[in-house]
Amino acid sequence: MAPSTDTTWSTDFDTVRRQKLFQSPPKDRTAYPRLAEAVEPHIESFNAIWEQGGQLHQALKDIGTKVFLDGDPYAPPEEPRNRLYIRIQDVFLDKPVLPPSNKFVLKDRRVLPSESRETHRTYKGKMTARIQWKINNGDWQEQVRDLGYVPIMLRSSRCHLEKMSPAQLANAKEETEEFGGYFIVNGIEKIIRMLSVTRRNYPLAIKRSAFTNRGPGFTPLGIIIRSVRPDGTSQTNALHYLNDGNINFRFSWRKAEYLVPVMMILSALVETSDIEIFQGIVGKASSEGLSERQFVIDRVELLLRTYKVYNLQSKARSRAYLGEKFKPVLQLPEDMSDEDAGSYFLRKVVLPHLGANNVTDREDTDKFRMLLFMIRKLYALVEGDAAIDNPDALQFQEALLGGQLYGMILKEKLEEWLNSLRFPLQEWGRKQTWKPFTSHQFQTDFVSRVLARATGEDIGKAMSYFLSTGNLVSPTGLDLSQTAGFTVVAEKLNFYRFISHFRMIHRGAFFAQLKTTTVRKLLPESWGFVCPIHTPDGAPCGLLNHLSHTCRIATRAVDASAIPRLVAGLGVSSQASALLENSMVVQLDGRVLGYCSPKQASRIHDTLRYWKVQGSPEKSVPRELELGLVPHSNGGTYPGLYMFSGASRFYRPVKYLPLQKLDYVGPFEQPYMSIACTDPEIVSGDSTHVEYEPTDILSIVANQTPFSNYNQSPRNMYQCQMGKQTMGTPGTALSYRTDNKTYRLQTGQTPIVRPPLHNEYGLDNFPQGTNAVVAVISYTGYDMDDAMILNKSAHERGFGYGSIYKTKICDLEEGRGGRSRKVQKLFGFSPIGTVKASWREKLDDDGLPRVGTMLQNGDYLAAWHTVSFDQGTGELENLDGQTNFFKYKDDELAFVEEVRVIGAENGLEPLQKLSIKLRIPRAAVIGDKFSSRHGQKGVASQKWPQVDLPFSESGIQPDVIINPHAFPSRMTIGMFIESMAGKAGALHGLAIDSTPFKFDEQSQTAVDFFGEQLKKAGYNYYGNEPLYSGITGTELSCDIFIGVVYYQRLRHMVNDKYQVRTTGPINSLTGQPIKGRKRGGGIRVGEMERDALLAHGTAFLLQDRLFNCSDYTKTTLCRSCGSFLSTTPTVNEFTRKKRGGLTVRCRRCAKLADNTAPKSDVWTDGQGIRRYGGDDIAVVAVPGVLKYLDTELAGMGIRLRYSVDR
Amino acid sequence: MSNYAGAADTTAGAANPNMNASEIDSHQRAVSYTCGDCDQDVQLRRGEPIRCRNCGHRVLYKKRTNRMVQFEAR
Repeated sequence: MAPSTDTTWSTDFDTVRRQKLFQSPPKDRTAYPRLAEAVEPHIESFNAIWEQGGQLHQALKDIGTKVFLDGDPYAPPEEPRNRLYIRIQDVFLDKPVLPPSNKFVLKDRRVLPSESRETHRTYKGKMTARIQWKINNGDWQEQVRDLGYVPIMLRSSRCHLEKMSPAQLANAKEETEEFGGYFIVNGIEKIIRMLSVTRRNYPLAIKRSAFTNRGPGFTPLGIIIRSVRPDGTSQTNALHYLNDGNINFRFSWRKAEYLVPVMMILSALVETSDIEIFQGIVGKASSEGLSERQFVIDRVELLLRTYKVYNLQSKARSRAYLGEKFKPVLQLPEDMSDEDAGSYFLRKVVLPHLGANNVTDREDTDKFRMLLFMIRKLYALVEGDAAIDNPDALQFQEALLGGQLYGMILKEKLEEWLNSLRFPLQEWGRKQTWKPFTSHQFQTDFVSRVLARATGEDIGKAMSYFLSTGNLVSPTGLDLSQTAGFTVVAEKLNFYRFISHFRMIHRGAFFAQLKTTTVRKLLPESWGFVCPIHTPDGAPCGLLNHLSHTCRIATRAVDASAIPRLVAGLGVSSQASALLENSMVVQLDGRVLGYCSPKQASRIHDTLRYWKVQGSPEKSVPRELELGLVPHSNGGTYPGLYMFSGASRFYRPVKYLPLQKLDYVGPFEQPYMSIACTDPEIVSGDSTHVEYEPTDILSIVANQTPFSNYNQSPRNMYQCQMGKQTMGTPGTALSYRTDNKTYRLQTGQTPIVRPPLHNEYGLDNFPQGTNAVVAVISYTGYDMDDAMILNKSAHERGFGYGSIYKTKICDLEEGRGGRSRKVQKLFGFSPIGTVKASWREKLDDDGLPRVGTMLQNGDYLAAWHTVSFDQGTGELENLDGQTNFFKYKDDELAFVEEVRVIGAENGLEPLQKLSIKLRIPRAAVIGDKFSSRHGQKGVASQKWPQVDLPFSESGIQPDVIINPHAFPSRMTIGMFIESMAGKAGALHGLAIDSTPFKFDEQSQTAVDFFGEQLKKAGYNYYGNEPLYSGITGTELSCDIFIGVVYYQRLRHMVNDKYQVRTTGPINSLTGQPIKGRKRGGGIRVGEMERDALLAHGTAFLLQDRLFNCSDYTKTTLCRSCGSFLSTTPTVNEFTRKKRGGLTVRCRRCAKLADNTAPKSDVWTDGQGIRRYGGDDIAVVAVPGVLKYLDTELAGMGIRLRYSVDR
Repeated sequence: MSNYAGAADTTAGAANPNMNASEIDSHQRAVSYTCGDCDQDVQLRRGEPIRCRNCGHRVLYKKRTNRMVQFEAR
C-alpha cells in the first residue's frame, strides 16, 4: 500500500505538493484533518442521535408507553374501561435513495448531496418507525409506519459521503475537502447554529429581580438547575427563597409554570423524617460549629413546621397528593392511581438527570440528596456565605449542538404523534357508539381508521420546516428561551465565512433584545474557549461568538462509571457537617457523591487529575472529564469538587506539567487552575498547566490576521468581519453548485505572509486575495480619506477581477402546489404558433437559453406554453398557440454559464424545472471596496495610468497607493510589518510565518528580523525606498514606505449600490418618489438633511429636492373660497374639446344658472348641470401630498382654506 | 453590441405554421444534452421525461451553443 497522505504542514508554499493533491486527490485520507476536526461537533452530535443507545433510543425510552382508554369519556364510570397501550419500539432512518416509483435506475439508486443541491431539492432519507400496541394484557401487535423523509446532515452516518476519501468526494461532485455538518433543504445549505445554554446538572445561585414577580413573599434569590435527561432534553428546576425563610420548588411544564413547597418533594422522594432533613441541610448533629448555624437552623425549623399544615406524613401520601394535583397537567390516563401519578411526576419533573425512567429507590435518594444540597446552597446564598453565580460566564454554560437540538425536536414530534392518536380514537369511538377496544371492529379499524388518521405522522415535513425556517414549533418549548432563529444559511461567500458558520456559537435571540450590555461582555472565563476578537461589531456583538480553533465540544458522555468508586476510596463521608469550610461537596454530573474537608477535596482533585492525564487503564479516569475544584473562600462561589463527564461541554487541550502530557480543561475548572501562557511564565509550585501555543485562544479566522498582536484590537475585529466579506474562491466544485449568488475572485493568490495554520486548514485551496505592491504615500490627492489608487495596468492584468454567479430558477410547477399532479405547462415554443426570429436570438430549439449568450435586461430566459393532455393521441398538446417567456429582469449584463435541465425524482415527468446559472463579470471599478488584512478598508478612487505612477530604483511601481493618514489614529502596526515581511518574502522567495506573539522586545523585534532580511536583499532596512515621480521623473523629496501587502477585494461593489434618479416611479397616492434602489426610487432627503440645507441657506436646492423633484403638482384653486376641492373643469355642451385647454370653474362659488343668467357666462359641469359664476380661479403649484391631506381632512369634516394673493 | 446571428439556426427559428412538414420538424427536433452523471449525450424531444437513457440520472446539462458567440470588446 502506498504511504498514507502526509498531514503535517508548515508555513511553506508547498506548491508542488498542493498541485499534486489537487490533480490526484488522495484515496486514503484528507491532507487537512484540522478542517474535519473543526466541524466534528456538528457531525458527531448528529451521529449520536442514531447510534445504539444514543439520543433517540433514550428518547423512545423516555416517551415510554402511551395509554388510551375506550368508552365515552363523559359517561359516568361504571365498569373498568379497556386500555390501549401503544409505544414506539424503534425508529429507522435510511440513507437518501430514489423513491420506489423510479423504475429506470437499477444499479446506483443513491441520491448524492450534489444532486439535491443541483435540483434545488432536500437531501433527505426515509424515516420509519416500528410501533407496537396491545389492548389490556393482550399480545403486542406491531407495524412499521412511514414517517416521511427527514433532512440528513452531510457526512454524518446517514449520508453517502460519510467515509469518502477526497478522491471519492471529487467523484461525487463535492469539494475534495468537503466536511459536511450542514443540511441541504430546497437546495439551500442550512446549518443549525450552536447555542449556548446553562451548564447542565449544576445548581446555579441566581439573583434575579424578576423572581419577586412570582408572588408575595418571593425574594430575588434562587437556585436554578438545568437537569438534562439521558436523551438530551432538559427540565429546569428552580428553588425560590421566600421572605419568611421558606423555599418553593418551581418548574415549567408545557410552557406553564408551577410552584410546589420543596418539603413536599423531599418527603415524596424518599421515606424520610424531619431529623434526616434537618441534618441533611444543617449538618451532622455532632459536627462542630453547629451553634453558629442559627440562621439556617431557624429557617429549616420553619420549613419543617410550615409543611405540617398539609398533614402528609408518609412518602406514599405525599406522592398521592402530588399525583392528584398534577395528573391532568401531565396528561395521564384517568384511571391511574394518584400515587403512581405522583411517582410519574417525580420521575418526569424533579431532577430527571438523576433518574428519568424506571427510577430506583437509589436514584430517588440521589435526587433527595441533591435537593438537600441545593437547599444548603440557597441558604448559604441568603446568609452571604456563597456568592451568586454569573449565568453569563462561560463557566456556567455549555453548547447546545445542532444534532442534539435536531434529536430533541425529533423526540418531541414522535411523542406528539403518539399523543395525537387521542383524537382519531375518540372519533372512532363516537362513530362506533363507544364500542370497546376489545371488539372485533376495533381490531379491523385500528390501522386504517385510527393510525392512518393521526396528525403529525409526517415527521419529515416537520423537520424540513424546522430546518428551512429555523422556527421551533413545540408545545413544550424544549426548555429554550427562543422559538426562532435556530438555523442559518451556510453562505459560501468565501471559505472564511463558510467555516465560521460551523464555529459560531450564539447566546440566544432572547439576549439580543436586552438593553443591558452585561451579557455581551468578554469575561475572563471565556479564555481559550471563545475567541476574544472574532465577534461582529454592531447588533450581535458579544452574543455571536466564535470558538477558538483548539476548542472542542464533547458530543457524548465519557465513561465516568469508575469515579464514584475511586472517590469513595479516597475518602468522603456521606453526610455534610455544619460549617461550610468543613464540608466540601463532591459531585459527579449533578449527583452528590459525598462531603469532605477542603484538604481532602484538593487531594482527591489532584489525584484524579494525575490519573486522568496518566490515562492508566486500571483507574479509568477519562481525559475529557472535567474536575472543577472550587476552593473554599470567604463569600465566594459555593465550594466543592464538581466533576462533569456529560456531553455538550467545551474543552481544550493544554499541557499538564507534572507529566508533560496532554490534558483537557473545561471552562468550569479553568478559573481555579493556574495555567501559564508561555513556558517562561510558568511559576514553579503554582502553575500546573501550560498552553501549547498562545494563539490557541484565537478562532480560525482571527488566526489568519498576520502579526495581529501589533494591531490595535478593534482593527483585528474589523478584519475578522471583512475577511468574511471578501470575494474569494468559495470552492473548487463550483460547476456543481447552484447558489443563488456566489462571488468569485479570478486572480486569487496565496499570501506570502501567513501563519502555518493557513496551510493546516488548507486555505490555499480557497485563495481570497492578491499580493499587492503597496506604497504608503499621498500622491495625487485621490488617496484621501481611505481611498486608494489602483495601478491601471495592474487592473488590466487582472488585479481584483471577479465575477458574480447568480442562479435563476424557472419553475413551471410554481403555484401549482401539490393539488394537481398534472402537467399543465411545458418549456419550448408553442408547436402551433409562430416563432419569431427575435425570440430565437437568445433561445435554442428547445426554448431554453443558449449557453454562452449575453443577456440584458428584458431578454428572454426561457419559453413556455400551456398544454393539456389529449386522451386521443395520449400526448400533451398546446391549444392556444401562445408562447410565454421567463425574462431576465436584472439591470446588469450577464452571460449564460450553465443551463441545468432538472428531471423529477421518479424519472417520468417532462421538463418542469430549469436552473440557469448566469455569470456577471465584475472587473474592479472605481468605487469598489478593498481592504488589507488589518481592518484597513478603502475604496478605489482612481485607476492611475502606470506611466504616471512613481517608480523605485529597481523599477517597481506600486499596484496600490494608500494614504499615510490611514495609520496614525488606527495604529495598525501589523500592516507595516506585513508590508516589510511581504517584501522580504518576495525578494527571497520565502513564505513568511506571521504567527502573532512570535517576536518580542527582548530577543529580536519583528522590524529587526525583516529589516535584516531586506538589508540582505539590498534594500533599505526599514522598507523605505527613494521613489521617482512618474510625471516629472524627479526623485521625490523623501523616501517612501513601499512593500507587499495581501489585499482582499470586498463584496461591496458600487454596481450593487449606486442609486440615481431625476424622475422615475412615484407613489400613486402621494405623488412622491417611491423608495428602493431596485425599483428605481429616490433617496430620502430626511429631516436632518433638510435642516442642513436650511442652515446653509440653500433655498433653491431645498425647493428642488423637496418640491420640484418630488411631488410637484400644478393645481387649480378658487380664489374666493380658497379651496382645491371645489374646482372642476367645465364641459362644453356643443364641441367635444375646445382649443386652448379646459376652463376651470369653482362649483362652490357658482350659482345654478336660470334663464336670467347671461349665456356667455354659463358653463356646464360634468353632470350636465348648468351654472354660472365661480370664475375666480388661480393656478398654483403645490406639493401633491397637500391635496391629499386636504381630501383626508375634508373626509373628517375639516375644511382648509387657502388665501391667495395676487 | 454586435451579436452574430448564426445562419444555421435562423431557418428553423422562422418556422411558418403553414409549412406543416418543416413545423413538425422544428418542434419534434431532438436537442442533445449532457448527462450529469455518466457524461453521455442525451437526445430529448419536447415533452419527453427528463432522465439519462444510459444511467437514469435526473440532471442534464445543456451544451454550449455551436452558434458563434462574439462580443464587442470595450
